[in-house]
Amino acid sequence: MSITRLTSSQLSVLFRRATFSYPKAYLHQTNVFRQNKEAAQDSPEILAQSSHLNSNPLDVSNKAPVKNAKSKIPLAHSKYESSKYELPKWKEALGELVIRAFRLDMDRVRAGPVAGSYYYKICKDQGLQYEDEPLSETAKYFYEDLKLPRTFSQWFQITVLHEWMLFVRMRAMPFKYGKNYQQKLVDRTFSDIELRLFEEMKVNSGRIADQYLKDFNTQLRGAVFAYDEGFATDDPTLATAVWRNLFGGRKNIDMLHLESVVRYIHSQLYVLSRLSDREFATGKFKFVPPGVKVEKLTAQQEEELKAKTVAKYEALDKDPKTLPSERSKLSYTN
Amino acid sequence: MSSPQTVRDSAKKLVNLLEKYPKDRIPHLVSFKDVQISRFRRVAGLPNLDDAGNSVKEKKPSLDEIKSIINRTSGPLGLNKEMLAKIQNKVLNEKFTEESINEQVRALSTITTNKFRNYYNVGDKLHKPAGNPSYYQRLIDTIEGKKTETMFTAMRTVLFGK
Repeated sequence: MSITRLTSSQLSVLFRRATFSYPKAYLHQTNVFRQNKEAAQDSPEILAQSSHLNSNPLDVSNKAPVKNAKSKIPLAHSKYESSKYELPKWKEALGELVIRAFRLDMDRVRAGPVAGSYYYKICKDQGLQYEDEPLSETAKYFYEDLKLPRTFSQWFQITVLHEWMLFVRMRAMPFKYGKNYQQKLVDRTFSDIELRLFEEMKVNSGRIADQYLKDFNTQLRGAVFAYDEGFATDDPTLATAVWRNLFGGRKNIDMLHLESVVRYIHSQLYVLSRLSDREFATGKFKFVPPGVKVEKLTAQQEEELKAKTVAKYEALDKDPKTLPSERSKLSYTN
Repeated sequence: MSSPQTVRDSAKKLVNLLEKYPKDRIPHLVSFKDVQISRFRRVAGLPNLDDAGNSVKEKKPSLDEIKSIINRTSGPLGLNKEMLAKIQNKVLNEKFTEESINEQVRALSTITTNKFRNYYNVGDKLHKPAGNPSYYQRLIDTIEGKKTETMFTAMRTVLFGK
């Protein structure tokens, strides 16, 4: 068994230790962001629902639903990625020993396939839908409120939008780690899509699957470029990028839907910008559901939040009992 | 198109907003601005303009043309009838009420005034990312043609990633 395997399995344990239950999805920040009672009446989802236009977009998707795979896909259902998987104690101890003995750079290890897997999963889940399954809460926003067609390529566009938001945060990390986070996220995306094309979309020919993959790759590059341009310039440009990519250039677009997505993007980026490198690197981020309003922090709340984070990680760094795999040199003050 | 005066006035507002919309920095297959302007000009009862600024009359197909299309194939132009009916129903006859079109105006002006960008201000942490501070600046410079990449800078990006 290779070192990477050991350490990465070890890390999935580490990720799990952080509590990811829904109400505390984005950690200690949640309470701060959601303290306003008005939040219940105001969110990107409600904004999209409030439209009276009742537009009926043309569905030219040729009715190709995403089917549930008969046999479970190995990559997506690996036992190492199940939230219930516990590493045997002796493996855990050996892993820690290896990290200590070879002084492995845990930040680099963490930036590898583990982070790719974790961050890919949260992007993938946003728009994931199957023909015979009810839609999840976030998927309802995309397919029902925004009236997007329920197809595989639409799912890909939704996933790309979320991946791009993570890219924006990853660029702000130290270069050698941030680049690796991005790379592994993309690697993971395409290895999963390849499997899903065969298992779920029933593509039988490898050549055709390759063509699709190349096409998805082009879409990814185009979308990331367009969103980057929109992020760096102004909202009209961002809205245009959303219209071209997420909405597929729909002619009778409801402007409220566009506004809602622009708002959704900015609120996610805002939450991302308030996370320190250390928190983001150790997987302490989840997308805010579209039905939740992100409250802007006051200067005082921001101070408190920072102080809390600093205290938490200072204690962790000083504690001699902290396992080598939990250590990190990434900044927690930014 | 017979829509009430109030709807037409709001549609004119939308057209004005869209005309102030920034032009695409690089040409794409479709332009949001152009597509939406022609959509709302129709609602506003204004004639659509071509590139030179002359109004384009919408050509309605003559009876002979329709007959020829119907007789030629069972599914004219390779589209099935169901799809054609859908297109007829859903794209051409967009019905706006006063309420819904005013919502459109409000939503579009929220976008054009950068309301959410300013409200959820992410600051320099994301706009000048620590790992690659000049990333967005280089991107914009290249799009606008201010500064093109030289062989040296291009190779540097390939080799070192930034």
